[in-house]
Amino acid sequence: MMGAVRVRRAIVALVAVAVLYGIAAQIGRGRLPDRIWMGAHYVDNVKLLPTWQQLAEEGAYLVESEILLDSVVVSTRRVAIGLVLGSVAGILLGLLTGWASRIESLADPWVTFFRFAPALALLPLYVVWFGYGETSKVLLIATNVAVITLLGAHQGVRGVPRVYLDAAASLGAGRWLRFRKIVLPAAFPSIFGSVRIAVGLAWVTIVVAELIDARMPSLGYLLALSGTYPRVPTMLIALATVGALVLVFDLLALLLHARATRWMGRTA
Amino acid sequence: MTATLSPPALEAEDVSYTYSGPPPTHALQNLTLRVRDNEFLAVLGPVGCGKTTLLRIFAGFLRPTSGKVRCAGSGIDGPGWQRGYVLQEQAIFPWMTVRENVEFGLLAKGVEPSAREAVSDELIKLIGLTAFEAAYPKDLSAGMSKMVEVVRVLATDPSILLLDEPFGALDAQTRARMQDALARLWEQRRKTVLFVTHDVEEALYLADRIVVLSERPGKLKAQFEVAVPRPRSVNTRFSAGFLALKREIWDATGR
Repeated sequence: MMGAVRVRRAIVALVAVAVLYGIAAQIGRGRLPDRIWMGAHYVDNVKLLPTWQQLAEEGAYLVESEILLDSVVVSTRRVAIGLVLGSVAGILLGLLTGWASRIESLADPWVTFFRFAPALALLPLYVVWFGYGETSKVLLIATNVAVITLLGAHQGVRGVPRVYLDAAASLGAGRWLRFRKIVLPAAFPSIFGSVRIAVGLAWVTIVVAELIDARMPSLGYLLALSGTYPRVPTMLIALATVGALVLVFDLLALLLHARATRWMGRTA
Repeated sequence: MTATLSPPALEAEDVSYTYSGPPPTHALQNLTLRVRDNEFLAVLGPVGCGKTTLLRIFAGFLRPTSGKVRCAGSGIDGPGWQRGYVLQEQAIFPWMTVRENVEFGLLAKGVEPSAREAVSDELIKLIGLTAFEAAYPKDLSAGMSKMVEVVRVLATDPSILLLDEPFGALDAQTRARMQDALARLWEQRRKTVLFVTHDVEEALYLADRIVVLSERPGKLKAQFEVAVPRPRSVNTRFSAGFLALKREIWDATGR
């Protein structure tokens, strides 16, 4: 199986990075400055490149104190809700606009408008509209996800090859059957590709969104907090945690994808 | 004969078709054509002579710019299963298994699963793909896929088949095999077939009658009755009558 090879490669790459980092940290210990200027004051005892031992100590503390686990739970929950809400809304809208414009063959300048509108810029607006609570955080993720998945679904539907629709129509399929049995499966790869991008984007968004009403526990605030002290080991561990969570989400998405596209040749 | 009493299965009367430009393309010009009931008619012509346009008009995807088309005496208004249409391009649905592809027309008609299965069983067996019934098209050869497309339109039992160079993209050997399969199919099920091709031998091997179209804009250039006895086989391809007719058509197509 290709899977086993890929897993082995990933492990080798990970170990290599870890070893290289360890070597760099050992070399840097005692050589890198211990005191840095933070713009307004000096900070002593910064570990610019913490060794594996220091990271392990910090990690153990974050785990034991349950700070890390609580943060992961809170942030993951927000991302998950935002992803579901955003994907459902985005995909439904994209299917609708795609199918409608397919028939009326409208030009779609608004697609371009949305593609490049930075959804993170909505943050201040959402704070005003929805307050400092959960709602604005989840909705910000949902909006980001919806824009991406809307485009994916819209373009997926528009890209359905004419021949399949013609063949289905001449076999007697009405519009609804054509939509269900031709358009949906044919657009699926494009929709799914956009969901995968959205998963990564949702995590980027949450880290920023958690700066509104910043409070623990949350991964975003953990990162921000460790930056102000600064505590490099905490930062690195929080970053690695976000990275690992993105990987897990992506893996889940890929599993879903593999199940839904058994009909496609194995190219990915 | 009875053919003169009942209206022809398919009829094009003085049909012209122009694709709006710029520049406008005159694909067909004043074409009159009648396909008799249960006749296998091959339309032969060079690439770009409007063969596909003619078929798409009969299939209901295009309306003639002028002239009339009729199916069994009544006008054609949009696509429908009564005229089974096999497109020139590969149009097997890649996300459906062979069986699901074959059953699609029946699904559209609202036929129950058990009845659908009975029909698809028979058709899949007919083309020798029983072992592949659960396979996806990615695991089929191009020839197999095309045969699935052909029997897919047969599932709803249309009285008319419109075939647009179904074997155009296949190698010579596979092509000959597919032609045999189609000939057997037609001998068993007698349908009105309008078969578009640019291959003289293919037209001769399969058809009862051949019409030759001119280069664009497509006009009727010549007609031939193919009085070659059925069932036809490999030997038919080398019989004197077959070869003489082939020569005649070659000359008529002006190559």
